[in-house]
Amino acid sequence: MQIDLQHRPSQAMAHVVLTPGESVTAESGAMVGMTPNVQVQTGSGGLLKGIKRMFGGESFFRNTFICSQGSEVGEVYLAATLPGDLVVLDVGASKYYLQNHAYVASTPGVDVDTRVGGFKTFLSGEGLFVLKTTGQGQVIAGAFGAIEEVRVRGEYIVDTGHLVAWEDSLQFRITKAADGWISSWLSGEGLVCHFTGNGTLWTQTRNPSEYGEEIGRRLPPRES
Amino acid sequence: MQTEILQRPDFSMVRATFERAGEAIVATAGTMVSRDTSVQMKTGLTGGLLASAKRKLLGGESLFLNTFTASAPGETVYLAPAAEGDLAEFRVRSGESLFIHSGAFLAGETTVKLDTKWGGAKGFFGAGMFLLKAEGEGRVLVNAYGALHPVDVSGQGFICDNENIVAFTDGLQYDVRRIGGMKGLFFSGEGLVCHFRGRGRLWMQTRNPARFAAWVHPFRRVKAKAQGGD
Repeated sequence: MQIDLQHRPSQAMAHVVLTPGESVTAESGAMVGMTPNVQVQTGSGGLLKGIKRMFGGESFFRNTFICSQGSEVGEVYLAATLPGDLVVLDVGASKYYLQNHAYVASTPGVDVDTRVGGFKTFLSGEGLFVLKTTGQGQVIAGAFGAIEEVRVRGEYIVDTGHLVAWEDSLQFRITKAADGWISSWLSGEGLVCHFTGNGTLWTQTRNPSEYGEEIGRRLPPRES
Repeated sequence: MQTEILQRPDFSMVRATFERAGEAIVATAGTMVSRDTSVQMKTGLTGGLLASAKRKLLGGESLFLNTFTASAPGETVYLAPAAEGDLAEFRVRSGESLFIHSGAFLAGETTVKLDTKWGGAKGFFGAGMFLLKAEGEGRVLVNAYGALHPVDVSGQGFICDNENIVAFTDGLQYDVRRIGGMKGLFFSGEGLVCHFRGRGRLWMQTRNPARFAAWVHPFRRVKAKAQGGD
């Protein structure tokens, strides 16, 4: 399998080349185009996994794109919804956590599991769920805006809305941005992710929720 | 007329510089950024009322196309589409027409005819996707939501999400279908795709406007329930 990223950084799209029998799993709706020898299988990877993803605000189903046996190589183009960059993470020696909306695609050897990222986040409505990758292969993560790589030595704080991914060598806990809930709320920062340890993390230069609210409050109310 | 695409790729804009009086460019309503005061703008029912109405009804394209006509050489008009993304210029010749996704048409020379009536459009009517056929002789400017990605189609063909199609050449046959069967249609999120066959070139856009709209929707506030009966 070959993954190359095109049209970086603002309009990044992943071009995945599959040999016969190879497959790639992607977030629902990520497919831009593909060759006809690629078969699409829609599945949840298990009911519980699908339900957990739904709680995390993702889609219940994911699509697996399989290159037919005995054919030529297959091609699949994948992209995220919002404008921005993509990053390919090699899972194996390093394992990663992804902010759940950053997931675009993964290779079959990678297990992507939805987890609750700390109980306090559960009550807040922001960055409640994270994805943990294990196994062997590659994960494609998408960002809203540009991606900034940060090497953490010791301690570091990132707004949950600006998180893309981080190495599992970093311990993390979700906390209020300021000491009290009220000042936290007033600061506009809401929740932050507090990291400790040594490792790399990736941030996105724009916050999707901030952007969505900026547009959403200007739109006429919806019925439901 | 000279055309130059500026500020590529993220926030592209086209500058048309007229070389003689009477020269004109036709553009989708609302796309003008600026122009010299001496350039005449006529909001036209290009091709007559009936042709425009047909375009509106069948092509989903703006009923009004504005025609910008030069009164002297050297005058300019700048045009840009609504969404962020790239622009491309194509030259249409007789026998080499171009199919353009409605909404991707930015502008064209007056010698280019935009048609919505041709054989084979049927598949798209049910799909909520409409195409314009640019015929004749001249330049057309096409806009993409995101980057513009060309795919040379031959041999086994190519499948593209309907919402990611920008334009394709005349040599391609196409049919609209669902991927992954019924379950695929409702749950895959990919909806309808277009299967291209034959030889030609397809241009895709890297972002999907329908998917973006669906992303924004949950951020809208919910309408307060009416109180005390109606």
